Parts: sequence; C-alpha cells; structure tokens
Amino acid sequence: MVNLKFLLDHTRCIRCKGCEAACKTQNDVPVGIRRIRVVAVNEGKPGEKNVPLPCLHCDDAPCIKVCPTRTLYKREDGAVLHDKDKCIGCGYCLMACPFGAPQFPGSGPFGSRGKMDKCSFCVQPFIQKENGQKIFREPIARCAVFCATGALDAGDATEISAKFRERVAAKIQPLTGTLV
Amino acid sequence: MKITRRGFLKASAVVGAAAALGGYSTSKKYFPNELFAPVEASPAKEVKKVKTICSFCAMGCGYIGVVEDGVFTKMEPWTDNPINEGRMCCKGASLPSVTNSPRRLRYPMEKSGGKWKRISWEEALDKVAEKMKYHRETHGPDSLFFCGLVHGSNEEAYMFRKFAMLFGTNNIDHQARICHSTTVAGLLNTFGHGAMTNTTIMMRHAKCHFFMGSNAAEAHPVFMKNVFNARDENGAKIIVADPRFTRTAAFADLYLRFRPGSDIALVNGLIREIIKNNWVDWDYVNNRTYGFEYVEKAVEPYTPEVVEDITWVPAEDLKKAARMLAENRPSNVIWSMGATQHSVGTQIIRSFAILNCILGNQGQWGGGCVPIRGHDNVQGVTDMCVLSHFLPGYYSVKSQGSWDYYAKVFSESPYTSGKITPAELKARFGGKFTDAAGKEKDLQLLPGFTVSNWYNGVLLPPIEGIDQPTNIHMAIFWGEAISSITEMKKEKEALEKLDMLVIIDPFPTAAAALPERDDGIILLPASTRQEGSGSVTDTGRGWFWRDQVISPMFDSKPDMWILQELAKRLGFGDHFDYKSIEDVTREINMACRPIGLQGQTPERLKRQKEYAHLFSPKTGRATGGPVDGEWWGLPWPCWTDTHPGTPVLYSDLLPVNEGGHDVRAKWKYPSDEPNAGDPIVRGDTPPYGSAVPQYAGYATDLTGEVVKKALADGNPPTGRGRARLRIAGWADEVPVHREPIESPRPDLVEKYPTYPDQPFQYRITNAEFATEQQRAIAEKRYEKYPIVLTSGRQVEHHGGGAQTRSSYILAELMPELYVEINPKLAASKGINNGDMVWVESARGRIKVRAKITERVNEKTAFVPFHWNGIFEGEDYSDRWPEGTKELVQGDSVNIITSPGVDQITQMQETKVALCNIYKA
Repeated sequence: MVNLKFLLDHTRCIRCKGCEAACKTQNDVPVGIRRIRVVAVNEGKPGEKNVPLPCLHCDDAPCIKVCPTRTLYKREDGAVLHDKDKCIGCGYCLMACPFGAPQFPGSGPFGSRGKMDKCSFCVQPFIQKENGQKIFREPIARCAVFCATGALDAGDATEISAKFRERVAAKIQPLTGTLV
Repeated sequence: MKITRRGFLKASAVVGAAAALGGYSTSKKYFPNELFAPVEASPAKEVKKVKTICSFCAMGCGYIGVVEDGVFTKMEPWTDNPINEGRMCCKGASLPSVTNSPRRLRYPMEKSGGKWKRISWEEALDKVAEKMKYHRETHGPDSLFFCGLVHGSNEEAYMFRKFAMLFGTNNIDHQARICHSTTVAGLLNTFGHGAMTNTTIMMRHAKCHFFMGSNAAEAHPVFMKNVFNARDENGAKIIVADPRFTRTAAFADLYLRFRPGSDIALVNGLIREIIKNNWVDWDYVNNRTYGFEYVEKAVEPYTPEVVEDITWVPAEDLKKAARMLAENRPSNVIWSMGATQHSVGTQIIRSFAILNCILGNQGQWGGGCVPIRGHDNVQGVTDMCVLSHFLPGYYSVKSQGSWDYYAKVFSESPYTSGKITPAELKARFGGKFTDAAGKEKDLQLLPGFTVSNWYNGVLLPPIEGIDQPTNIHMAIFWGEAISSITEMKKEKEALEKLDMLVIIDPFPTAAAALPERDDGIILLPASTRQEGSGSVTDTGRGWFWRDQVISPMFDSKPDMWILQELAKRLGFGDHFDYKSIEDVTREINMACRPIGLQGQTPERLKRQKEYAHLFSPKTGRATGGPVDGEWWGLPWPCWTDTHPGTPVLYSDLLPVNEGGHDVRAKWKYPSDEPNAGDPIVRGDTPPYGSAVPQYAGYATDLTGEVVKKALADGNPPTGRGRARLRIAGWADEVPVHREPIESPRPDLVEKYPTYPDQPFQYRITNAEFATEQQRAIAEKRYEKYPIVLTSGRQVEHHGGGAQTRSSYILAELMPELYVEINPKLAASKGINNGDMVWVESARGRIKVRAKITERVNEKTAFVPFHWNGIFEGEDYSDRWPEGTKELVQGDSVNIITSPGVDQITQMQETKVALCNIYKA
C-alpha cells in the first residue's frame, strides 16, 4: 500500500528554486506555469522563511469534489491526476484548492484560461499525450530528489515520516558546557 | 514499491545502459523558432545516461545526464555522489536548457563593416593566428592579453597557461583574480597553501558556522545542506555577518549587520574579545603559530565601542559572537566574494586565518578557513595558474628556476613531441626593457596584467603608465564575461581601441556587443562543459573526472581542439600534440609538485566515480573496494599515486599516509627575531620529536624520490611549520582596519587611511591607493553619494550571466535586475516598489528597477552583478549577432562600482562604493 505525499521542511528551505527548475526540466513545463513554487514569508526580515508549495495531493481533495467534468481523480497510489481531454478550464479547482496548485496557461480574450495543469508527482508531463497515447511515468517527484538542502521530500508517507523522524532523532544532543 | 531517494537510485543509476523511457518528443522544446534546423527524433529512441559534474559553482555536484537520441534532454540525480547526494540548485537543475539554448553561438563569426557574418573555422583560426603573429613581431609578445578559461577543465587550463608560456608573455590571467586572489594570497602567506582548508563534506562536523561575506544560500545552495546537517546533528550554531540580511542570515542564530568594508575592524574586535576573555587555544598558538604577540598588540585598540563606531555592530552583539565562536569549537569562517573583493581583501582573509588560529580551529574537521569558490573549476584553473604571476602548480614567474623547470618538463614530457631549452623559452619572450625608474627588467620574470586592470594596458602609455614597453593590441577572452569586471566604461573604451578582439565562448557574451566598433571582432564557439571531458577541481580541492554528456552541438569545438589548432598555426604545435585529454592530466601529474597533484591520475579519478557508492557522505572517505581509505576527489595534496588525498589542510589528526598534513614550513624568521634566518617550524613539540623543515627540492624533483622519503618519515614533504600570524615586511604585518577607497566616513579615512600609492604593481607603473581615496574625499563624494553600494549574486544566475540568462527556465525564475532599497530610504526619495530608478556613482549611472526591502538598511543599496545588454540606461542588444542575445538583459552594476583594487593582488573592490539613488 503506497500513499504518496510531500514533506515540506521550512527550516531547511533556502528558496534556491532547484525544485522549480527540476520540475520544468523534467516535465517540459512552459514559461508561465509553476507546478511548484517557493513562497517567501517575511522576505528580508527576521523571521524570513520559505515554503515550497507543489500540489499536496490531498486525500480528500477539494479539487476533485468541485470539478464539474470529472477531470481530476485520485489514483490508487495517492497521486491526484487530471485528464486534460476532459478539462474545460473553468478554474473551479483553483477556487477550491487550499494551496493555489492549479495553473492555467491560457491568455486571450473572454477570460480563456486554457486547460488546467498542475503537479502530478512527475507522472504526467505538461503535454500529456504522445502519438495519441497517454503518458504515465513513475511517480518520482524530481523537485524532491533534486532539492538542494532536503527541505522537500516526497514518496510513500510511511517512508518519508520515518526519514523525518531520523532527522528529529539526530537533533537530540548531549548538554554542552559553557565557557566562563 | 519504494520511491525514496535510495530506491530511486537503484532504478536510475544504470550508467551507459540504453533503456526506453516513456516515449515522447523533447527536442521541440529547445528549438522553438525558425532560427534552427529542427532536430527530428526518431521513433525508437536511444537513451544514454552519463554520470558527470555540474558546471556552475565550485561545489562539485554530480548529476546523471540523460541523452535521448544524442540530445541532452533530462537530468537524474546522482544520489551516490557524497558531495551533493543527488541534490542541485536551480542552475544545476536547468543544465539541459543552458546547453541546448537557442541563444548559443553556433559557428565562428566575424564582425566586419558593422555586420556579423559567418566564417569557417579554418578562416577564423588563420585570421586569429596571423594577427597574433603580426603583433608578436611588430610590438612584441606582451602586446597580447589572454584572459579566462575558468570553466575549462584542468587540462585545458594547463594547456592555456602553457600556450602563453610558449607564446612568450605573462599577460595571462583569469577570473580567480577578481574572485579569490586575495584568499590565495592571504592563506598562502599564512599557512603555505592558498585554498580552502576543508572539504565541503567536512562542514558537517563543525560546531559553529561563521558566515562572513558569503551568502551561501544564494551563491552555493548545496553547501547549505551540510550546514543544516551540522545544525541538526551537532547543534551547530550559525552566525552571519553581512551588510545585508541575506537568505543565509535568515537561518542565523546571530546576525551582525556591518558596514561594507569594515570587515577587519569587526574580526579584530572578535579576536580582542577572545584574548581578553582568555578563550585562546594556547596549545595551538604556542606550538603552531608564529607572531601572536604582534596580534595581541595590533587588536588592542579594537574595543567593542570602537568597533561599533566603525562597523555599526552593537558592542553587545560583538561580545555575543565572540562567545558563540569560542563556546562552539571547532568553528569556522565561511566566505566568498563578500570578504575578498576589497581594497584590503588580502588582509581581511588574513584576519580570518588569525581568528581560526587563536581558536585552534585550524586543522579540525569542519573548522578553519572555508572560502567557497565561485566557478565550477576556478580552484583547478587557479592551481593550473592561469595567472599572471604563477606557473602551473604555483611556481613564481619571478624566479628563473621556475622557467627552467618548465622547459625541462615540456622537453621530458612523453606526452608531446616538443623539446625546448631554457634559453629558447627565454628567447620567446620580449626580452629586457628599462622601466620608468630606470631599472632594467626582464619581461619573462615580470608578472603580467591582471583581469582587473587589463584595460590600462590598452589605455595608458607604455613605460610611463604601464610597466612594459608596448601597449596591449589584441585580447583573447576565453570564457570570461566582461560584466563581472569593474570600471566597465574604461573596459568599453579599451575594447574599442584594441586592434583585434577574440572571444571564445559558447555564448557571444557582453564583450562581443559592448564595444561600439564595426570591425575586428572574432567569435569562436567553444563547446560547453557538457560537450567535453576532463578533470575538474571543486572548492575543497577534490578532483573529479567530468565525462562528456553529448558531442559538441552546432559547429562548436572543445577548448582543447581550439588550443591545439592555434598552437599549430603559431609554430609550437609539437608541444600540444597530446593523443588524448588524459595525456594532459598525466603531464599535470608530472609537473605540478608544490601542491601535490601527483596522485590524481585519470585512472584513479575514473575509478572513484565508478565506486562513488563506497564513499561516505558524512566524511567523504571510502570503505572497502579498490578505493578503500581514499578521500572523495583525492583532494590535493595527493602526494603519490597511492596516497588517499588530504581532506583537511594543516591537520595532524591523521598520519600523512592517510591524509594528514601540517602547516607548510616555507618561511624563515625575520631579521628582527633572535633566531633570524632559521626556518619557522614546529620544533620539538610532541609528537614529532624534532623540527621538520620543508624537504628541499621536493617541488622540482621529477623522480618523486624526495616525496617518497618524506612520506616514509611520516611527514608531509612541505614540512611541519607554523602559521605566520605576523608577516614581516608587509605594509601591515598584522591586519588593521583601513577604510575602503570610497568611504562614507571622512573622519575615519583620516584615522584609518588606505595604503600609500605603490610603484610597479603588476604592470601598472604607479598604482594609486591613497591618491584615489583622497580624490574621493576632495570631491566630497560622501556628500554627493551618501549611500553605500554593494553588489552580489542572485541564485538563479551565474557570473556574467550569459549562460543562465539564455536559459528559458532561469530567465523565467529571475527575469530582471533590481536594486534593493530600504523602505525608509525609498520613502524619503519618493520611490515605490517597482519604479525604475537611477543608481549613480562618480563613474556613471545605471537604470534599474527598485525593490523595496528591509534586507538592506537605509544607508546601503544592493545590486546583483550578472547583467548586461543595457549600458547606462541605453539598450545595446542590437549589437549581438542575430538571435544570440540573452533572453533577459539589464544594466551592469560594474559600470558604477569602485575603482579600488587590493594592494597585494589587484583584486577589484566591488563590495563598497558610494552612490545615490533617484527616480528615473
């Protein structure tokens, strides 16, 4: 049983945007679409922190609930995927999503948004089809494997939780002396 | 189903195997317009995966390049690589978009009659070689200036230096001059070697990281991985001292905002606090350093209150920092351009070295001096001494012995057919001349022009202005971006005045477009690092073999081929007839002895790559297999072909045969000491029994017997010396504060003036320091330009930016240049976020967008330096060859940065200038 999840550790994110670039290189995402974006809070001030935000592949995903054309669906391994053939670019998913994950490439008159695109755990590239066949690749999130500092982790929830606990355990230190 | 990083590794790290990935076309993405012939991908794809090293900063990160039908399309993480464990920043993760950028220079081009036109390689090389010969014969070999190759392999760098030696000039230099030349001078003169004393992997063992002049989170993102590991695993503290509250500072336990250019006052204040509180490591100071009393005396005036007045750092914070450094040992000092690019840069680095010595950090795992270098092979190219004052391996050009040694190496090298005697080599140079002071000088033994001052070779009159009998008439810029050099206006003038300008680079770079001239520019498309192979040295002195990912695209050629072809045309091709690039590595192994480059043979480097999984990411040491006991990258000194490399310099924690080392016993006690003339050695301190001076002749003994003897004795061939805290004979024997050339505080200039002018610095007849500073005071620049301007990096861009600004990914991630302005300052000037503003200094002005942020205080402004294409607000992008200008462009901060240079190395002072800002 696999349940794909991201783990975001803001104590390590330096906003180097390696995740954003790795995503673009891997999924051929065009200019203007950010499947993952690192957001700075309190930029330039004490308390500055950075949060990488991809689609978090919610278990009870609001985007799936509101989609009028059933474009979005949850795969057995936990990845929330979408079928661009069905998408009408209405933008309902963006309203429902708590994280701002859905992206819309279109621009033009009458509010045309283009078909929605979002993080697919690197399962689907931007152009979902090749020679009429849908592409489904292995769910290995490149943003996480390339992350420069280990701020972003991805994979089976049990495994990343175990890894995070290892990191927490390593933090436990013997008391250190003070110089006088 | 395992999808963790390790699991992924197993699935993906099959190197060289052809496997079918999900079938889809990728080539379209890189060839978006009609400028390029479309590359048709065949239905059945051949997929190749190549383990190699990233070509941006000097971390030495590994990745696996995925090549589909000959096109470098994707990347996969090389999770075994102990340095980065597969991780990359945005620059590294965008590599395919850089290599495949449609903005690359595709074929040789010449500008004539105001138009760019395509020419053949034959024609281009003939033209370049003919002009070189012409100027050599007409004005002498010193009428040429060779610059760059910082992104080349060690082999190509060595060949480039050899090329200049055989051409007959010392006018050759590269970016290390404006990058870490002050680090090299500062550390070399203190400890004996001018390089980072740890590997980046060792950062994991530090207890306190002191960033001073490094914004690693932006400049070297992967470096932060081990900083965080140390924080999480050892409870390591992070102190950041920086004029800006940088992204690195956001993670600091203690942040010190100090005035640009007041570094030494701050460090001396720390040293004084440590001494006053008796936190000194007396064992280290007594046994392994020389001159502590001089330090004690020199730092006495730097009380916390005095330091506060000079540096803006509150006295309390200074005390806190000193305590934190002392309580959490080993601590280190991590720096980059923030510390080096100053008119007192060498002394700033010296002060770091002294701080580390008195705390006893030096030689500890994770402790000591950590200069992080900027370009992927800038350490290697520095070691190959593409520098105007050294020959490969740090043999001084001032010594005839160095030249005779190299004549012997070139003749005895079994890898080339050429032979040359010392006399023949001397004859290739310009001979002797009489300088402005009436002294006779030998051009072969005279250090040449530097990157930061090359334009003066064109603009100033010979003898009177420059210390050589001829002007520079022709310049070759080999992978050097002009926009990272200060005084861009003078550079522009010089580029226009040259008879011929040759640019060898994957991109045309600003040098091709900046000069307003119609003729005499030749562009040669060099291939990128992904299209060639060779060894590369990371910032921690480790050597890695970089494999070719794809064959050269378009009509580009590897640097090695270009060098060989030019050498052939100039009549010394027989010294360059290497059969393969590995043969060049072997010649380096043979020649470069002072720093121990004997062990990094191509076979060992390739073997390390194959067995990367045996190396620990916690220490960098291998366990088991044929690489058992070796350190990752065989960091130099690696004395023999069985030596494991030296991970931590000046550390006697390990036996020499396992990677131990000691301070180099290179110097003698000065004349005012009771034991004057004796070598400065550790003496009979335990456990070494008796004094171990440097093994005589180890650096010129081609048989390697001297080195073998030293190792058999259990000693480094460089002996066991003491760190020189005092350097007798220098203008400042111990670092003291001196105000930058342009200072906002005239009262402090009076109290802490810079150095007096110096005759004959490199090839400048009279180098102005005090005069320049006094000029700034006389013009009252502190009133006209009350804001301190500092410059630096953006994480998305690199160097002059030609590569990164040509990548559609990186151009999107950071599309524009900006100036950081504090909200208070902006409010007082009526500037809103996003407004276009002029930033003006005594040199000129640049037009940039305002970014209102508290990163800087109201007395400081910050502008990144990677930009060009606009000159003082005027767009000159139409001067690029059609279709090659970068995707995003901006004004260049180096038009307005300070004219100051370092007194020892001619490092440029980009970090402190005075400016004013007003709405455009």
